Amino acid sequence: MTHADSCVPCVDYFRRKTMSKKLTHDAGKPEGTGMRRRDFIVASGAAAATVAAGALNLPTRLYAQSGRTEITFASARFFSTDTMQQVIESYNKSQNSVHVSYIELPPPSSSTEVHQQLVQQLARKSGSPDVFTQDIIWIAEFAEAGWALPLDHYFGADEMKAYLPGIVQGCTWKGQLTAMPWFIDCGKLYYRTDILEKLGAGVPETWDQLIETAQKGMGGDVRFGFIWQAKQAEILTCDLVSFIGSNGGAILGPDGKSVRIAEPEAKAAVQLMYDTIHKDKITPSDVLTWDEEPSRRPFTAGQSVFLRNWSYVWSIAQDKTQSDVVGKVEVAPLPHFAGKQSAACLGGYQYGVNASTKNKDAAIDFLRWLSTPATQLHFATVEGFVPTRLAVFDEPELAKTQPFIQKLKNLSLGAIPRPVTPKYPQVTLVLQSEISRALVSGDIEGALNKAKTQIEKIVAA
Amino acid sequence: MAIAKTLSREADLRPPEMRFRIGRPWPALLLVPALAAIAAVSVYPVILGLWLSLRDTTLASRTDAFVGLENYQQLCSDSQFWNAWIHTMEFTSASTVLETLIGLVIALILAQRFLGRGLVRAAMLVPWAIPTVVTSKMFGWLFDGQNGVVNYLLRSVGLLHGNVNWYGSPDLALWTIVIADVWKTTPFMALLLLAGLQTIPYSLSEAALIDGASSWQRFWCVKLPLLAPTLLIAAMFRALDAFRIFDLVYVITGGGPADSTEVLSTLTYKILFSALLFGYGSALSTAMFITEIFIALGFGIFILRKFKEAAQ
Repeated sequence: MTHADSCVPCVDYFRRKTMSKKLTHDAGKPEGTGMRRRDFIVASGAAAATVAAGALNLPTRLYAQSGRTEITFASARFFSTDTMQQVIESYNKSQNSVHVSYIELPPPSSSTEVHQQLVQQLARKSGSPDVFTQDIIWIAEFAEAGWALPLDHYFGADEMKAYLPGIVQGCTWKGQLTAMPWFIDCGKLYYRTDILEKLGAGVPETWDQLIETAQKGMGGDVRFGFIWQAKQAEILTCDLVSFIGSNGGAILGPDGKSVRIAEPEAKAAVQLMYDTIHKDKITPSDVLTWDEEPSRRPFTAGQSVFLRNWSYVWSIAQDKTQSDVVGKVEVAPLPHFAGKQSAACLGGYQYGVNASTKNKDAAIDFLRWLSTPATQLHFATVEGFVPTRLAVFDEPELAKTQPFIQKLKNLSLGAIPRPVTPKYPQVTLVLQSEISRALVSGDIEGALNKAKTQIEKIVAA
Repeated sequence: MAIAKTLSREADLRPPEMRFRIGRPWPALLLVPALAAIAAVSVYPVILGLWLSLRDTTLASRTDAFVGLENYQQLCSDSQFWNAWIHTMEFTSASTVLETLIGLVIALILAQRFLGRGLVRAAMLVPWAIPTVVTSKMFGWLFDGQNGVVNYLLRSVGLLHGNVNWYGSPDLALWTIVIADVWKTTPFMALLLLAGLQTIPYSLSEAALIDGASSWQRFWCVKLPLLAPTLLIAAMFRALDAFRIFDLVYVITGGGPADSTEVLSTLTYKILFSALLFGYGSALSTAMFITEIFIALGFGIFILRKFKEAAQ
């Protein structure tokens, strides 16, 4: 599976960055094929997981025998098993009524497999896992299927004001809060400060400004003006959302039923995507096969003025061994159409509680602990996860360890979700196919009308 | 009396297994584990797949009802499906023909005696031994539109003036994947054909040589007809395998751009495991299965005919 599937590739890179700090913990537990096989076994069932976790970790077993409420927590494998295990252990130690065991799913880069395993377990309605983490694009699907416990009863509207508004919207389905925010990632504009300085150009706020600056900035080693991603994969939908959003348009209406993909705002946005390649020539046609990493490489090799990508690029761009542009890169919100607002595509994993859990109180207690500012701060400082609680951005400890994350506060405020519908997996397949066609053929009207017809059929069913 | 004697002698001459009589449970019992294994891993999934293809089973929306042939009706009018079907057939034909022809040439060369033949035979298998995902990444880099070696070489010798975007162009992408597949799987064909060539007695070529046949005549009139059954069987294996092409496409293009490299396996994977539409996805797999049966039948008829010719 490619990174494009998950749209949270940041995680691998932040992990690499923070690896040195954690070396002492990881020593003696190499990540190899043996590990992966174990992951698979662990993920294949809650019972197996409990046994495996117990065998791996003696303290877990000791706790398990002391008459606490046993619950399970399933998450995609964002970082080494130990890291998550440590977080869970600190919860287990913080109180003495609940004991959590960890079920590890495949890494987020294999998001199709993570999705599949979660669906299989949730559809079984056995109550396991009690608490899980989900990609933001699955929230509506799980909620509509009745697998996610509605959480409004436990977390009131006032409490949710402490979070980024976009993410709360993303965690809500049909007016009910069915997920709790964990971390987010959003698409952003990376630009070369040295080139902009030389041109005397400001950071572009509109697409016209970006095209003009990109064209002026190209030449010599700088072969490209603006790189984005158009591989026929999930990433294309992510890019599409921010282009259309930056023109005030949308793919689906807020009701999840009205299809807006063929409206003039969307058409103009897709036309712009096409024009960057074929008319303005600031984007190479190679983007048609590029997802995150192929598009990142030319930028950090100093070949492009602008790049749209996720947070993970930052740490690579500042790493001398991988980047020729150390200290010459900054981030800004993506540009927008004149008179409209910038829109970033929202990604990230969020928490959910299994609707058939047999230990509701224990699950909620654990969820509440996971959502505390302290836990979010831990994930932010140790793993580089962008927090969803507004207050965490302002923590002095974060400024010290991850100054880049602090910069993202304003960017994250403008992030918008991908189409919210329980049929998202089908909708995105249609979008990928038709938008890719539009970008190749130039028949934007035709492709968008076809996409509209197909999506209408899917969401109506 | 004489007749009875002959009959009893005939009975004695039968091979031992023929002497088991119906009603004795042992032979049947001994077959049970094998049959059970086949039923469990082969028959059951196929039947379950067929059964699912008649339902609208969707994991996420919890629908599950019998819908008869509705999935197949939808399939017939699904332009995505036909698009993928055509690409799969194009890919299968092109890669099978190219791999068989090039494989034959390689096999003929390797059948000759020359210094270091053993080494060359071993080296030939390297592309086949490399995991396909690695091959995919490698060809992704070779044909990269900006920094690919292929573009560089073609520009250096003056065949190209600008860079060609191999995987980004809907007209070229599928053929670029065919090239990767030919590189990877030709050794397999060469190996099968080499084995076939070695079963042809040298005395036949020698006789033709004495009769004054040229080397082309020896190949065309002696070796090729004798190799034909092997050639057809090898091509059938290859065609059935090529029809299921997944990894190269999945890693290199993901089916794009504009669905130009979408093949049946990648489409089925998306429908089954991304969209979790088990009913419709099973109908797709069944359509693949049926197409494969037709391919196998087509080859089977030719192969049988060749065997009959050989028997006469």
